[in-house]
Amino acid sequence: MNYETTLAALNLQAVLPNLMDLVRHDPTAAAIAASRDICIQFLVRGGPAAYVAFKNGACTVENGQRADADVKLWFASCRHLNRMFKNQANPVPIKGLTRIGYLTKEFKKITARMEHFLTPNDNALAQPDYMALNTLLTLNTAARAICILVEGDKAARNVAAGMPDGTLLLKVLPDGPAAGITFRNRRATMTAGETEKPSALMLMKDLKTANDLLNQKLDPFAAIALGDVRIWGQTPMIDCLDLILERIPHYLQP
Amino acid sequence: MKTYTYQRSRELFEKAARLIPCGIYGHFSPAPLIPPDHYPFYAEKAAGSRFTDVDGNEFIDYMCAYGPMVLGYNHEGVDRAAAEQLRKGNCLSAPSPVMVELAEKLVDTVAIADWAYFAKNGGDVTTYATMVARKATGRNKIILIKGGYHGVAPWTQGYGHHGITEDDGRHIIRIPWNDIPALQAAIDQNPGDIAGFMACPYHHPTFVDNVMPADGYWQNVERLCRQHGIVLMVDDIRCGFRLDIRGSNEYFGFKPDLICFCKAIANGYPISALVGTDAIKNDAAKVFYTGSYWFSAVPMAAAMATIDEMKRIDAVGLMLAYGEKLRDGLIATAKRHGFDLKVTGHPSMPYLRITDDPSLMLHQKWCGECTRRGAFFTSHHNWFVSSAHTAEDLALTLQIADEAFEAVKKQS
Repeated sequence: MNYETTLAALNLQAVLPNLMDLVRHDPTAAAIAASRDICIQFLVRGGPAAYVAFKNGACTVENGQRADADVKLWFASCRHLNRMFKNQANPVPIKGLTRIGYLTKEFKKITARMEHFLTPNDNALAQPDYMALNTLLTLNTAARAICILVEGDKAARNVAAGMPDGTLLLKVLPDGPAAGITFRNRRATMTAGETEKPSALMLMKDLKTANDLLNQKLDPFAAIALGDVRIWGQTPMIDCLDLILERIPHYLQP
Repeated sequence: MKTYTYQRSRELFEKAARLIPCGIYGHFSPAPLIPPDHYPFYAEKAAGSRFTDVDGNEFIDYMCAYGPMVLGYNHEGVDRAAAEQLRKGNCLSAPSPVMVELAEKLVDTVAIADWAYFAKNGGDVTTYATMVARKATGRNKIILIKGGYHGVAPWTQGYGHHGITEDDGRHIIRIPWNDIPALQAAIDQNPGDIAGFMACPYHHPTFVDNVMPADGYWQNVERLCRQHGIVLMVDDIRCGFRLDIRGSNEYFGFKPDLICFCKAIANGYPISALVGTDAIKNDAAKVFYTGSYWFSAVPMAAAMATIDEMKRIDAVGLMLAYGEKLRDGLIATAKRHGFDLKVTGHPSMPYLRITDDPSLMLHQKWCGECTRRGAFFTSHHNWFVSSAHTAEDLALTLQIADEAFEAVKKQS
């Protein structure tokens, strides 16, 4: 994959799925989502596809196409899609022209809300609710991004070639959030929440530690030695994960 | 048995973490010591086979400073030789005669050596060896073994690691260990462009079972290198002087062009050496390579005394004998508790793993329980024994291992 294709996959398959947690945990987003049942399809020529469905106040984001989507947004290229995510371009609606109003109002508000929680500043992070949601979204974005990067990014692919098979569980103590990343045959899949019998564990002592670690504000080696981050099991998996995480900012700058 | 606590280590580390990246960096980082609260972070003093940490806890040391300690900490003969040289001079504006004496000692000791060149770290001489190979052949590519470790210079690390560019590894080809067809394929795919082949005498990566060379492996490597004009380099930094005082290649029956030594060469004094054959001496002479402390005489005097003492007491034989007893004793102890302890590698540098848990978590718990009872065991790296380990150490180690297995069983 080239840079734009990898970034498009990250935007659609790592960033956009945050809408699910956002609607689940943020009352403002939940209120917007509850206003209408609608399915929006994103189609990229030569690139990934995904859809966002709002139904009964819940949100689902999936990869691929859904034939009964209410709105279909077409992008001429991965670069076109990526520019839209930077608010520098607009999609081409090819179905659901009568629902454009929803896109420009409600959907725009909900994606702005997502952006708000994904682009933290120190003042915002000082608010416990904000930090909790930012941590959840960042953790899940990172876990999903790793799965994409091990296929799309050359450096990450090189690192993943040395990754033993198994599942690495990332968990914020005492009771979450958590995400599992399963590596098998140089490919990765992500599972939100706990996982059984992990090969490696990375346990972060609290939300603040997790937030600092995920936002690369922490010396991870010192944090591990001090017990703020506890690791167990197949440490090479954690080493490789750290290296792949490092690739995320090359694509997704906060 | 009393279990140790590490208050002073912890306090020092908290201060260090504010002042030093990682607190403690590199291979001494406590991060792979799992769980870290079972391990000391700072050592205060040492003697023989044991060291004492800053909290006053004493450990039978099975890492031997990650290899350099081979005759025992604070070895009287080595330290005396070093002190005598220090009184004469250490870093001067010209080398000391001991440098020539040490070169002669290595040439007389290491079977293939016709010359010796001194530096400080293992990575200094592995890098120098690749430069000599390139000079000698006029070629670019270096073949390494996947998972092999030759230091931290950018060419030794893979693309994707922090601070490493894709170009750093542009002329590095990695092939699996014990795979002659892969070596042949690498040669065929890069006709006339393989400068050198570098590997450790046997495969001892971290976290996984160590693997000895298959029958005929090294002889086939040597044959292909000769056939294609490839410089054969042995990274004997970890194994050197622990398998065979004449070079680990003698243990496995082959003749390299260059051998890299460090760790055990001076029982803890900082020095490394590249030795080689006459055929490549003039090429080595033309590669400009040096460092501020590479001529310091004290480590050279220590190396002289270390090599002499190793020969006098047959240190290699002592380490082998102790390593075998340690291996057999630990396996039997594990078995009594219903665990299967797998020991790979040479007995003087064993790698251990409890096979009952592929995640290594059980093994990490056991190593941690042993350490906090006084046997310093790491779970991720091969261990080292020394000629200073005693029967008393062995008995206490097995007692500690026994109690640690009991503790692990209670936890699970």
